[in-house]
Amino acid sequence: MRPVATANAQSEPQFAAMVDALAADLDRRDRLMDLLREDHPVYDQRGAAAIVRMRGWLLVALARAGVSDAALIFVLEELDTGVDAYLVAAAARALRSYPNPTENLAPFVMRALTQIRYRDEPVSFERYGDYAVSSAGTSPVRELLATLAWLGPRARGVLPELEALRAQGSGLAKKFRIDIDRALHAIRRADQVDEPATGSCCAPPAGLGDTVSRPLDSRGGVETIESLVFEDHRGDRIAFKEFFRGQPSIVVFFYTRCDNPMKCSLTVTKLARMQKLLEAQGLSDRIHTAAISYDPAFDLPERLRVYGQDRGVVMNAHHRLLRATGGMDALCAHFGLGVNFIESLVNRHRIEAYILDAEGRIAVSFERIHWDEQQVVSRAIEVLEERGSCGGTRAQGAD
Amino acid sequence: MARKRRAAKRPRGATKTPTAVKRSARAALSVATSGRRPVRKRVAAMAQAPLAVCESDKDLQAMLNVLRNEDEPVKVRLAALQSLGAAAFSVIAFESCRGDYLAALRKVATDPNPELPQRVLGLLMREKDGFAQRKLLEGLKNPDKALVPPEKALQLLSYDVHAEAYAAARAIVGKPPNPDARREALRLLAADATAAPLFEKLLRDKKELREIRQISASALHALKPDRLQQVAREIVLDKSDYDDIKATSLMALATFGDDKALANDTVLLNSVDRFGAGKAPSKYKQGARRFLRKYGR
Repeated sequence: MRPVATANAQSEPQFAAMVDALAADLDRRDRLMDLLREDHPVYDQRGAAAIVRMRGWLLVALARAGVSDAALIFVLEELDTGVDAYLVAAAARALRSYPNPTENLAPFVMRALTQIRYRDEPVSFERYGDYAVSSAGTSPVRELLATLAWLGPRARGVLPELEALRAQGSGLAKKFRIDIDRALHAIRRADQVDEPATGSCCAPPAGLGDTVSRPLDSRGGVETIESLVFEDHRGDRIAFKEFFRGQPSIVVFFYTRCDNPMKCSLTVTKLARMQKLLEAQGLSDRIHTAAISYDPAFDLPERLRVYGQDRGVVMNAHHRLLRATGGMDALCAHFGLGVNFIESLVNRHRIEAYILDAEGRIAVSFERIHWDEQQVVSRAIEVLEERGSCGGTRAQGAD
Repeated sequence: MARKRRAAKRPRGATKTPTAVKRSARAALSVATSGRRPVRKRVAAMAQAPLAVCESDKDLQAMLNVLRNEDEPVKVRLAALQSLGAAAFSVIAFESCRGDYLAALRKVATDPNPELPQRVLGLLMREKDGFAQRKLLEGLKNPDKALVPPEKALQLLSYDVHAEAYAAARAIVGKPPNPDARREALRLLAADATAAPLFEKLLRDKKELREIRQISASALHALKPDRLQQVAREIVLDKSDYDDIKATSLMALATFGDDKALANDTVLLNSVDRFGAGKAPSKYKQGARRFLRKYGR
């Protein structure tokens, strides 16, 4: 059940006015972050382009109001997986309002720059819903370069990449030379070095809530979905409890019509890599993997099979691509999926992966930021061993 | 003199060096963007210009000025658009020009000359551009604001499955402004997972246009392949349905059906037998014979 059924009745101009009012109100600014959740009812039944305008405006508002520690994940998510010029530009601008910059932020900015440079286009933040019809204003590349300049010496870790971008023949427009030079100058500045560049290349800043572990005693039950029936890539039907109970599982969510290569396609490709890591450790039979579609009405077995096959996914009795045959709302609620819809079609989603324990309960979740396959597999092994160390949780469990 | 000798030594048909090609493209661009040259020559030069379009900001701006300038002959502007489109095809080489190009396209999308918006909106929709999407949807909801005819708007919106076009398409199917718009609306809805019942109804409707029934068969296959198999079987068994629709149904069964079940479906095979021996045109009878051969008759 969607929490607020009336929220989607709001027009886009009304939404923009509400965002502006929240950004201007010190006591209510925190609500801006709430509006960035993909499953917020305000996005229900909107087209993908409308959602880009709305989320972009939210990020622009955050740029004015200041990005809090809690909101940082949403900004980094856009830099990490975003391919829309407006959203990436807005995220880059918003990041500059974060009060505690660290060197860990620089790789996100540089990665976004590498990804968006071939999709660069003029954007306008003047008014809600504006589309630039002249190239005089800003663009994601320009905003990202400004953010690297803002990071200054903290972006030293990405200096070689930026220098390569400055080199002749890199393809970047000459009009960005001034912006690159400004960023390079700021990064090379020695007088502001106040912390060593020790951060890992891809790790989010410490304390960022992209991974959530749930101790054994705090894991929720699966009553609402245990009877939910899935159809797999071969058309075979299997209930949640049949597939996900008895051993830990790694679960990712995706849909075949996703047009962001940094999201579903990469997620399923990473699942294939995780399967190889499990295979290498002889754990293919002891840890299941599943990719579940957000778009079950369209993702029929044949589409699932071809999508998985094209990305190297091993598909057999222990490793399946699944679509729910009903109960999609229950599935969304159980996992707290970061997804919203226009009719049956996904209009926005985050990336998300879960490790389920042998009871099918969520033990670990990875959200928004790209996860490292080895890390996910290691955590899955911990969950497998956790069961063993308890002498077999399921065997001795209450049921 | 020495240059002449070198040129003479080059075998006939040999390709130009990259430098020579670029030099020639720049010369063409100079002709193409010159308002003093005749239209015919400018249009011809535009075809040679793509390689030079993104070589310098000055050249790019000259080309974009031609595209944007409402006082330029429309033939030249269309040729400029084509030349820019050809240059944009090389994503990496065009990287530095993309921003200006897209901004110019958005500007021209509302040009008073109707041919330009249609082409430009097509280019923008291939980029899944939100601006173009909004203009097209506005035009469908309010025909007074439409930049292109409804059937074209629907066709362009179908380039992006995430455009919020299903509701508009359904409204057009319900109350079509013309038959072409209805057809394009149905094509667009072929990606809407909830539209299977509509397509089943249209496929079964013998009063419906053949083209619409064929679109419906294709859509039903994409959305509910099992359902198409059932309906196709019923159509083949229906003595009163049209030969071409029966042939389409037979093809769907033979290509996507369950071979084992079809080989054992005596009622169906007998019906196909009769169809093959009846008065249907020979091309349809051939299809029936192929079907029977495949399933052991």
